[in-house]
Amino acid sequence: MKEVTRKWIINGKERQVTCPPLRRLLDVLREDLHLTGTKEGCGEGECGACTVLVNGDPVVSCLIPAGQVPDGAEILTVEGLEETDLGRLLQEAYLEKGAVQCGFCIPGMIMSSYALLQRNATPTELEIREAHAGNLCRCTGYVKIVEAVQYAASKLS
Amino acid sequence: MTRLDTMDCEFPETLADALELMADDTTRGVPLSGGTDLMVQWAGGVVAAPQRVISLAGLPELKGITLKDQCVVVGAGTTHAELRASEVIQARLPALAAAAATVGAQQIQARGTIGGNVANASPAGDLAPALVITGGAVVVAGVHGERRVNLTDFFKGYRSIDLRADELIVRFELPVNPDGSREMFRKIGTRSAQAISKIMAACRIRIEDRTIRSVALAVGSVAPTVIRLTELEAWLTGRVCDEDTIAEAVRRTVSAVSPIDDIRSTAAYREWVSGSMIRGFLDAFFNAEARERR
Repeated sequence: MKEVTRKWIINGKERQVTCPPLRRLLDVLREDLHLTGTKEGCGEGECGACTVLVNGDPVVSCLIPAGQVPDGAEILTVEGLEETDLGRLLQEAYLEKGAVQCGFCIPGMIMSSYALLQRNATPTELEIREAHAGNLCRCTGYVKIVEAVQYAASKLS
Repeated sequence: MTRLDTMDCEFPETLADALELMADDTTRGVPLSGGTDLMVQWAGGVVAAPQRVISLAGLPELKGITLKDQCVVVGAGTTHAELRASEVIQARLPALAAAAATVGAQQIQARGTIGGNVANASPAGDLAPALVITGGAVVVAGVHGERRVNLTDFFKGYRSIDLRADELIVRFELPVNPDGSREMFRKIGTRSAQAISKIMAACRIRIEDRTIRSVALAVGSVAPTVIRLTELEAWLTGRVCDEDTIAEAVRRTVSAVSPIDDIRSTAAYREWVSGSMIRGFLDAFFNAEARERR
């Protein structure tokens, strides 16, 4: 097996990785780069716990072969979120509205919140729900998560 | 570590390079597009991991949505997110836009592609009904040139498509919804996102003065492949779309499908709901046309 080398901008910093071509982006982030904020839930692309942003798109990192992420790609993980104004705002909104229960889904959930508010600062409730439809919360704290995103959006305008 | 860490993958930069790799037994591999189906199957051991994989991600020749004459040409590497966001698809192939919006959720839609969805050839592939109602074709390529296959012929059987070992799917040629026609798509799953379909259907229809002038109907997840209800279409064409017609169309739909019991649903449920879906389409279109006449 022939390894590949890729240079990405992860959370604003240039990082180079060399790994098996089909190694899951999730494993590169957690095991090779020690960015363990991103969680593995199902490992099948169903639960969204491993959601990160690649060039602004929310994607499930358990289904992405590292080799398919091209040189120069910008990757944002939950660790990079608190470096951004919107990330800090969402962090406060999730706390304020009690949106976090066990917390396992939150690193993925909040990435979907971030991606939504980046594109649409005034989402409807339906748009918020659709943007988080790929993130499952087994504590079923959806109502408070939706409220947190609405609260964050209200602070943006 | 997963078994994915042991597999080899090539990353050709052009379609020509990819076809060269596919042409030779010693370099050929399993084509990988967005990976939303294959990565799960390989990591979980559902299917044997192939020795070699050929990544098609980022091949510029497989990208793009263009309107040419009365046909929308869609590159095989177009993602579901690109399909649903495209103004051309929304306006000219609305059932396809609607179908793409029901696949997984945004994370899957950002990665999964139309070519991958068709190549995977699952009977529950959501795009298939919306594609076959267009009467369109798929274009496949090998090193020796291209081949054009009608979409209904392309789906040969359960998880089987008319694609040779050295060929790749490159684009789809989809005749637009003509003026005066309407399209609809409907999917039934356990929940509205992240659910694989129990059943889904698509329709393209033109009704004038209460009479069905033309109609295309397709149902998925009720047979080994997506099916066009061609006999029902022929029966409906030229008929007045009233309650008697709709009731008979439901009966004919139920006898045309051949669903099975599986992990997602039962044959009995699928039979019943396939009829209800066709009723829903005809009701909706008939009522819309009646409103316009008023």
